[in-house]
Amino acid sequence: MVRNIVVLGGNSHPALVESVCNILALPPCQRILTKFSSGESRCEIQDSVRGKDVYIIQTGFGGNGSRLNDHFMDLCIMISACKTGSARRVTAVLPLFPYSRQPDLPYKKSGAPLYNKPASTDNGSRKDYTFESVPVTPGPGVPRSAGLTNGNVPDLSSRFSRAALANGSTSPVKQNGDHPANGVNGGHRSTGSYTTHDYENLTHAYAFEAKPGYKQWVAQAGTLIANLLTCAGADHVITMDLHDPQVQGFFDVPVDNLYGRPLLKRYIQTYIRNYKDAVIISPDAGGAKRATAIADGLGIEFALIHKERRPTKITDRQNASMMLVGNVADRVCILIDDLLDTGNTITRAAKLLKKEGATTIYAMVTHGVFSGDAINRVKASAIDKIIVTNSVPQDEHKQALGDRLEVLDISAIFAEAIRRVHHGESISVLFNYD
Amino acid sequence: MSAEMANEIKLISGRSHPDLCEKIAKRLGIQVARTISLNYSNQETSFTVGESVRDEDVFIVQSTATGDVNEGLMELLIMISACRTASARRITAVIPNFPYARQDKKDKSRAPISARLVANMLQTAGANHIVTVDLHASQIQGFFSVPVDNLYAEPSFLRYIRENFNPEDCVIVSPDAGGAKRATSIADHLNTAFALIHKERPRPNVVGRMVLVGNVVDKVAILVDDMADTCGTLVKAAAVLKENGAKAVLALVTHGILSGNAIETLNGSVLEALVVTNTVPLGDKVERCPKLRVIDISPTIAEAIRRTHNGESVSYLFTHAPV
Repeated sequence: MVRNIVVLGGNSHPALVESVCNILALPPCQRILTKFSSGESRCEIQDSVRGKDVYIIQTGFGGNGSRLNDHFMDLCIMISACKTGSARRVTAVLPLFPYSRQPDLPYKKSGAPLYNKPASTDNGSRKDYTFESVPVTPGPGVPRSAGLTNGNVPDLSSRFSRAALANGSTSPVKQNGDHPANGVNGGHRSTGSYTTHDYENLTHAYAFEAKPGYKQWVAQAGTLIANLLTCAGADHVITMDLHDPQVQGFFDVPVDNLYGRPLLKRYIQTYIRNYKDAVIISPDAGGAKRATAIADGLGIEFALIHKERRPTKITDRQNASMMLVGNVADRVCILIDDLLDTGNTITRAAKLLKKEGATTIYAMVTHGVFSGDAINRVKASAIDKIIVTNSVPQDEHKQALGDRLEVLDISAIFAEAIRRVHHGESISVLFNYD
Repeated sequence: MSAEMANEIKLISGRSHPDLCEKIAKRLGIQVARTISLNYSNQETSFTVGESVRDEDVFIVQSTATGDVNEGLMELLIMISACRTASARRITAVIPNFPYARQDKKDKSRAPISARLVANMLQTAGANHIVTVDLHASQIQGFFSVPVDNLYAEPSFLRYIRENFNPEDCVIVSPDAGGAKRATSIADHLNTAFALIHKERPRPNVVGRMVLVGNVVDKVAILVDDMADTCGTLVKAAAVLKENGAKAVLALVTHGILSGNAIETLNGSVLEALVVTNTVPLGDKVERCPKLRVIDISPTIAEAIRRTHNGESVSYLFTHAPV
């Protein structure tokens, strides 16, 4: 029993809140958290928080009919409500940190696919998912429910590269400085506005072009999210397996970045037979450090998949744009990554490993977001077993993937972190226990 | 003019109300900047900038669509922060319908003052200036430490009444005590009578008993308010006015949020017309509700943007509506 702690849960992950509260042996804080009919969040905290140490659990995941941005605003409102309610300290517990990973270019063929309202995802009878599938890039003339056939993509991407070429060759110096008239420069379009607002119709998105001579860029929201949490009144942030550890530096308040690594390690040691002969694989160069840490900890071999940005030569060893560095023939492979979003990287990596002679492929991911078509893509992939943590709700994913999905419980780690932070004990032991 | 002054207005539109932004752009004779906002499949909002905003005077127009308030707000914050990192000289958030304006006080223990949170968030993101229309409580301006221009729809309403009715036949009615000031101001300008409805509100979005104070017999009763949400209040007030002998009842409301069953409620009511401004995107509501009329507020906003950019006074707009 711990005194003076209040654990307040958002709507994003009630199951985690409950099990953290169970471990800490205290009831979750009573609150009302709904929406007014206008769409504004309504929050009322019914238990006293005066002088208390408040922990607000809200994960960065929108699914099951809820929206990510709603959850984030709810979190800020709850923090602010506790702060104005004279809480002694407010800690935001974000198992999955929202906006922790934002790609720089949005519409590459391998880029993050865009949000479609889930209209056609339920009929899981579509057979055209293979593990070669690339997130569909709906464009003009491409039906939105086209599935994941590769056929559409090269056409569209070549169009983009042509557009980019056309833009690149226009020197900004030669421009007169005023708006290029329609029809002069890339003039296959006659609308005056280049802003798209349509949640549903994405054709605008693919017709979007930057002004000639200007390289379009995507806003990185990481710092903003950090600043917003601090401005709402968070005194401390606890999160897990940040995609970029640098995000910690965006905050002026302490950030505890917990690791899912010990859990994954324990799983390997307990459930993978002859794990000493297995190979740990990082599906991209960015995750190499994460994967080597596990490989070193277990004393087993390591290999890396290298994403070739521009395919040089089509050889047999080369799978589209991915290259394997290391040997996996007749071995059990364990792919390690921090985030599974659309599942594109990891399923393609799995395919490559199979091709290179891997016997069994495990994929271990801390945050299993499974957005877009990820479930179907994973189903069709060469991955034999996928292991995630419940940093985001996994019930639906578990239902869809059945025995192929293994969910590790992180509530004990968070409960222990909350207990230690509350008592002012060191939490570094959580970083490296075995 | 020095080279320093050569910066231009950059008008950036969010996804919530492109129509209003388009009208403002037209009015200002400029193009909406090339930007695009999207949601990724993991629902994170992404904002792409397609032209330089370096050292420009940036105006970001973002209303909050009914039901999508948080989505619109996050998008706005990301847009502001993007422009800030892109070295914009000044960033003005044009928020015709300020979100969370009704959660402006701690009316219960541990109730959030969300309006202040929104104010802080906007400043944290990097807004240097706020332009809004008919704040629910003008004290919200005090939540900001940057300038806030609170424009009024009142001049547009006055013109509407003068053009459509004989002011002598009208009574201006406030549907609640909080709006009395707004209603009396209109009544004074038109030199007409004024009445007030007192109501009890047991729970949010639920309307209690109503009592009329004043005389509306054989008059056109014009209800004046700052926002129409579920329209429960307005419709009940209209019924009370009708019972008290009003010839006709219509309502002038700045923000037509019209959430929930508002349209059905309106269609079945004794209200002759609900006149709103286009601060909130109305979507297909105009088609669904024949009683709904829309006043275009974009000239006022456009003029405020022009004056702000040129460093002129905006107070003219508090009493006059540009045609």
